[in-house]
Amino acid sequence: MIFRSAPVFLFCIWAALLFAAPTDTLHKVKLKPGARGTECLRCHEAFQKTLKNRSVHPLLKSGKCTACHDPHTSSHKNLLISDVSTLCSGCHKEMVPDNARSSHKVVVEGNCITCHNSHASDNPFILSKTGNALCVECHQDIGTRANQVEFKHEPLQKGKGCLSCHNPHASVRAGSLLKNKVTSLCKECHKTDRPSFAGRHMNYKVADSNCNSCHNPHGSNKSGILYDAVHAPVAEKKCKQCHPDPGAANALETKKKGMLLCRDCHKEMMAETFSKNRVHAPLTDKVACLNCHHPHGTKEKKLLNDTQFKVCGTCHADTVELQKWSIKNPKNENLCEPVKTGNCASCHSPHAADNVLLVRQENISIGLCGKCHEWEAHATHQIGEKAIDQRNKNLTVECLSCHVGCGTGNKPWMMPFESTYDLCTQCHVERKR
Amino acid sequence: MSASIKIYVIVTAAVILALSAAKSFCAEELKFQYITSIYSDDQELKLKQPEGVACRKNNLLIVADTGNARLVRYTFKDSLAESAAREIRVPQLRYPRRVEMNSKSEIFVLDGKLRRIIRITADGKFNGFIDPPSGSAPSAYAPISFHIDKDDNLYILDIFSGQVIVLGTRGETRKHIKLPGEYGFFTDLTVDSRGRVLLLDSVNARVYSTTANSTGFTAITEGLKAYMRFPAGLTTDRQGRIYLVDRNGSKIIILARDGSFLGRLSARGWKEGLLSYPSQMCINDRGEIFVADTNNSRVQVFVEIE
Repeated sequence: MIFRSAPVFLFCIWAALLFAAPTDTLHKVKLKPGARGTECLRCHEAFQKTLKNRSVHPLLKSGKCTACHDPHTSSHKNLLISDVSTLCSGCHKEMVPDNARSSHKVVVEGNCITCHNSHASDNPFILSKTGNALCVECHQDIGTRANQVEFKHEPLQKGKGCLSCHNPHASVRAGSLLKNKVTSLCKECHKTDRPSFAGRHMNYKVADSNCNSCHNPHGSNKSGILYDAVHAPVAEKKCKQCHPDPGAANALETKKKGMLLCRDCHKEMMAETFSKNRVHAPLTDKVACLNCHHPHGTKEKKLLNDTQFKVCGTCHADTVELQKWSIKNPKNENLCEPVKTGNCASCHSPHAADNVLLVRQENISIGLCGKCHEWEAHATHQIGEKAIDQRNKNLTVECLSCHVGCGTGNKPWMMPFESTYDLCTQCHVERKR
Repeated sequence: MSASIKIYVIVTAAVILALSAAKSFCAEELKFQYITSIYSDDQELKLKQPEGVACRKNNLLIVADTGNARLVRYTFKDSLAESAAREIRVPQLRYPRRVEMNSKSEIFVLDGKLRRIIRITADGKFNGFIDPPSGSAPSAYAPISFHIDKDDNLYILDIFSGQVIVLGTRGETRKHIKLPGEYGFFTDLTVDSRGRVLLLDSVNARVYSTTANSTGFTAITEGLKAYMRFPAGLTTDRQGRIYLVDRNGSKIIILARDGSFLGRLSARGWKEGLLSYPSQMCINDRGEIFVADTNNSRVQVFVEIE
């Protein structure tokens, strides 16, 4: 017999029940009988008007103010019972499913009030605004552009707008909060079995291809909502320039691999690139140009797969992190413009160069920094070929003797040291205190 | 005390001793000492952004003096190198980026401009190119690095075909080893004392090793980004330890044979003992470590101390 007496057994049962009991998400407060929200409204009179809105939070409607607020004290703003970022998810757990393939950042961070009013509104789901107006508050660039382009994508302009294709909270089926995978989603409206579809795609069997490879789902200034930056053969419907005949079994593959294909047209660029001392290594692998560029079309200039900063950051995440860190640093108010804007190509040649680190100019100080900075005005220090770096007899004093081109995180003036004192006393040892 | 209790006490003591021994082995402490820096040749011509170093035995050190489009041969003895240096210039050499020596002191150089491996005799004469394997057009071959093992086999990391090509001493193709499917970008390879081919994925800071039957690669480390920024050089020592040259982080990271982190050597800087965008490194038969300290335009020498 494990339990020798009834009281011990009962205590164990009680303890087990205590710990096994589900936590009630509603905040329990002992109110006097019949009080509920009516007691709160005696002071918070403005809520009488709020309650007349078309959409009112059910807890407010049923007078359960104490479900979210503590009537006496709280460590959180507005006497909330917990931090606002975790309050809603106490009840609305299902907003981001465990198997979500993409989720809205504001939802994950618990910033529900970015889109929803907490108590009531005249819009469905207590939303602060309706339709696209709500989304473009944050996604302003997409909204502005979608309204300005010549060729508009109808679902974005009418009906549910953004929500025609995107889920507001999360998606278990696709990235970018899409309701379904791109091709499946497009096929809900665009019938791919019609002859006109084949005709418009030069008889290539692209029904199961990624539509976003050529078309901008938010609209564009090119017919067929092709991307504004579209590869010339695509715009001219010369698919055969790169692909075998549409009837071929391998029609969607390319005629040649890697840069060998691109080189057929981009001869001069390739010749110049491969005449340099150093070729950017990704250009020579089997993916080659497509490591950074899209073969059909993109939103970015020069057919880049993404913004220049993100493309470079795909491999050089460490440098990109340093740049981001430098931008956040309040000591770096004079951060070099290309670093500030993430314009890596301002100093580095993305294809090839004759210099280490693919720097565009051998003479970095005059040739590169000097393009923007009047380096001679830096009169406090000798610089140039005649100034030997005291730390290393093989180096001369250049801009990069004291500054680091891609930023130095939390250090000032893009210097690799915490202070100018630490920097200067590297060479001027006699001044060291 | 009963016999069973005695056995229990003895076994427990043995386990504790074994665990403490294993712990002290894992916590192997590495210490390195800076020895010297090499700045120029015997004519006092300064090195300019050297990217390659090769060393093996006989006190020989070959430096790929990249910015000066030449090689420099040093005899490194008792910390003296510059007084016994000789320049090697061949017209085919335009931009030497990586250098290796075989057991006969022949020199092999990867030229950045030509993107070909050049063979140079021990006395410094051009001895042909290492051509791509038969059937591959030169443009369909992109050697990004190479290594020569103790038996003089040549391992070429060809990023165009996505494989390591192994050539025998007569240039015959001995093997192709396919690169792993998922990776960031491979920049270097080496072969350790046990004949394992090691590959370096710079983007993910991950090291791969050939599988037991040497038909493919498997990762021996997780991504090591916590320890380094962008490793671009790889070598091993006699004990099988793995050295990664962190180019952007300007330091050397040392891993155990199994890929576990052991320590680091040097840091970013201009003064002697510090590094700025280092490239290739090599370790000779005496355990001396040579690092092509590229942006400092010199070669630095370190040695492990007890």
